[in-house]
Amino acid sequence: MSSEELHILVVDDELGIREGCRKVLSEEGFKVTTASDGLEALEICKRGNKFSVALVDLMMPRLGGLELLGRLRALDPDLLLIIITAHATIDTAVEGTKQGAYSYIPKPFTPDELMLTIRNGLERQSLALEAKRLREERERRLLEVATERSRCGTILKCITDGLLVINREKLVVLRNNAAAQILPKASKPEIPFPLASLEDPKIEKLIDEIFKDEPGPRIVSQELAMGKNTFMVNISPVIEPNGETSGAVAVFRDITELKKLETAKSMFVSMVAHELKSPLAATEGWLNLLLSGVIKDDPKEARHVIERSYIRVKTLRGLVAELLNITAIETGNFQLHRANVDVAAIARRTVEAAGEKAQGKAIELALNDRGLEETKTALADEEALALIFSNLIDNAIKYTPQGGTVMVQLAQNGMYASFSVKDTGIGIKAEELEKVFDEFYRIKNEVTLDIPGTGLGLSLVKRLVQLHQGQIEAQSTPGTGSVFTVRIPLS
Amino acid sequence: MKSLILLVDDDRDFLEMNRGILEAQGFQVSCFTDTDGTWESMGIRKPDLVITDLMMKSLNSGFSLARKIKSDAKYQDVPVIIVTAVASKRGFDFNPKNREELEAIGCEAYFDKPVSPQLLVAKVKELLS
Repeated sequence: MSSEELHILVVDDELGIREGCRKVLSEEGFKVTTASDGLEALEICKRGNKFSVALVDLMMPRLGGLELLGRLRALDPDLLLIIITAHATIDTAVEGTKQGAYSYIPKPFTPDELMLTIRNGLERQSLALEAKRLREERERRLLEVATERSRCGTILKCITDGLLVINREKLVVLRNNAAAQILPKASKPEIPFPLASLEDPKIEKLIDEIFKDEPGPRIVSQELAMGKNTFMVNISPVIEPNGETSGAVAVFRDITELKKLETAKSMFVSMVAHELKSPLAATEGWLNLLLSGVIKDDPKEARHVIERSYIRVKTLRGLVAELLNITAIETGNFQLHRANVDVAAIARRTVEAAGEKAQGKAIELALNDRGLEETKTALADEEALALIFSNLIDNAIKYTPQGGTVMVQLAQNGMYASFSVKDTGIGIKAEELEKVFDEFYRIKNEVTLDIPGTGLGLSLVKRLVQLHQGQIEAQSTPGTGSVFTVRIPLS
Repeated sequence: MKSLILLVDDDRDFLEMNRGILEAQGFQVSCFTDTDGTWESMGIRKPDLVITDLMMKSLNSGFSLARKIKSDAKYQDVPVIIVTAVASKRGFDFNPKNREELEAIGCEAYFDKPVSPQLLVAKVKELLS
C-alpha cells in the first residue's frame, strides 16, 4: 500500500501539533487534512472526505476526543484511529481503545515515534482488511454452495425417474417427487424414514445386496412390477473418498411402455415365424409326397402337387417382399421418391395390369376416371402409389366370386385425389373391418381359406398411404361387397 | 368298418396331403377347417382318432379342442395328435415340445409341420392298434 493513496486527518486544538504533523506526514508522502476540534473534524468527514488514519487529540473544545473517536468509528469502521494526548494515562488509553482507537502517542512525540505508530497501525489495519476480505469471500462461497445445493434439489425434484437415497442405517434420507408418486408409501412420512415403512421387501432385498458386498462400486438392476406399471430399478452404492459405502441411491425408471413394445415386437416376430413356416411346411410336405413315392406315377397328380407348391412358394415370396417393405417403413428406411405424378395414368396402368387376373375369374374390371382431370397431379412416389392401387385391386379380385364386378373410380375430393375400389365380393363384417389393416390379420372362414394371402397387404397399403399424408378407409356389407377408398393430397 | 380319422386344419394343403396319405392306408378321413364343425361331427359318429392343428381361427383353438375331447368322458379315449407349424411358445402357456405338458392335456403325440408320411402313418397305426 503506497502512502500517496493514504489520507490522514489530524485533529488537535494546538496549531503547533497540527502543522508539525502535517509537515512530517507530508514528507512521508501522505495527504494531510487538519481540524482544530471534533466538530470541524466531523464536518470534514461528512463532506465526503475519506481518510485512512485519524490522529485525535483528547482534550479539545466543543467536541472532545473520546466522543469524536466514537463518532468517527461509526462513520467508517475501517478507519485507523490513533490518540495523541498530553494526558497519557492508562485510564484514558483504555477509554480510547474502547472507542475504537488502535493506539495512542503521548505528547510530545518525535516524528519517528509518530511514523512508527502510524506504520504499525496501517500494517495491522491492512491485515485486518485482508482477513475481512477473506471472511467475506468465504461467506460468498458458502452462499454459492447453498445456491448450488438448492439447484441440485430442484433438478432432483424435476427428474422424471424416481430417486431414493438410503443410508447405512436403512433410513430413506432423500426422495424426489417422482419417487413419492411411484411408491405411495414414500410420499407420506417426513424425511428421514425407515426403508421398511415402504413395505416393499423386494426393494429392501436389493438394498441389502448393495450393502452386503462392500466395498467397491457395483450396481444392482432389476425389473419390478409395481401396480400396473413396470419399473427398472437401478441401485448403486454411495462410496465415500475413504472407500466406505455410506449409503445407496435407487433410481426407478418407468419402462411400462418399453415392455409393451417389447411384447408387441416378440408377438410380431412369432407371427412372422409362423406365417413364414406355414407355406414352407406345406411346400415341403407336397414335395415329400412326390419324393417318397406316396404319389404314384400319375402325371396329373404330380402336376397338382407342383402347382400347389408353386402357389405357396409364390405367397411366401410376396410375404417376404411385404415384410421387407414394412420393416423399411418402420425403420424410416423406405425412401419415397416424390415427384408430381399423374394419378389417373398410374391408376389406368394398374387396372390394365390386373386385367388378366380379372378375366381368369370372369370378373368385370372397369375404371371410371372422369372425376379426376388429366392435369391434376399429386406429389407422390409413383412406385408406392402403384403398389397401393394394385394391392387394393388384387384384393377386390381375390375376394370377389366368379362373374362379379370390380369398379375403380377416380375423383377429386377437395385437395385430394381419391381412388376407390368397389367390389361385389364376400364383404367384411363390421367387427372385422377395423382389423383388416393390422399385420397378419386375415379373415378366416370357409371362403377365405382357399384364397392365398399374407395378411400384410393392407397393412402395407395403410403405411404407404400415411407416408403420403393421405387417408384410407373401408366400407363393407357382408355378402354384398366392399369399398376401399384412398385419398392422396394433390400437388 | 374302416377307422374314422378327423383331420382339423385351416390350411387346405395339409388337409389334402394328409387325407391322401391316410386314405391310401385304408382309413376313412373327414376334414374340417375349424373346431366347431369337428365337435359337431363327433356327436354323429365317434372318431377313432383326431389329428389337429393348433393355430386356426383363434390362436389356440386346436388346443381348446384337444382339451375338450380329453375332458369329456365320452371321448377321452380318442387319441389326439397335434400337427402344427407353431414355432415355439405362443400366446398360450403351452409348449408342445414339452412331453409333460403334452401329457397334461392328454395328447398322445405331437408333430412339427410337415410330418413325413411314414412317421404319421406309423404313429396313427400305433395309436389305433
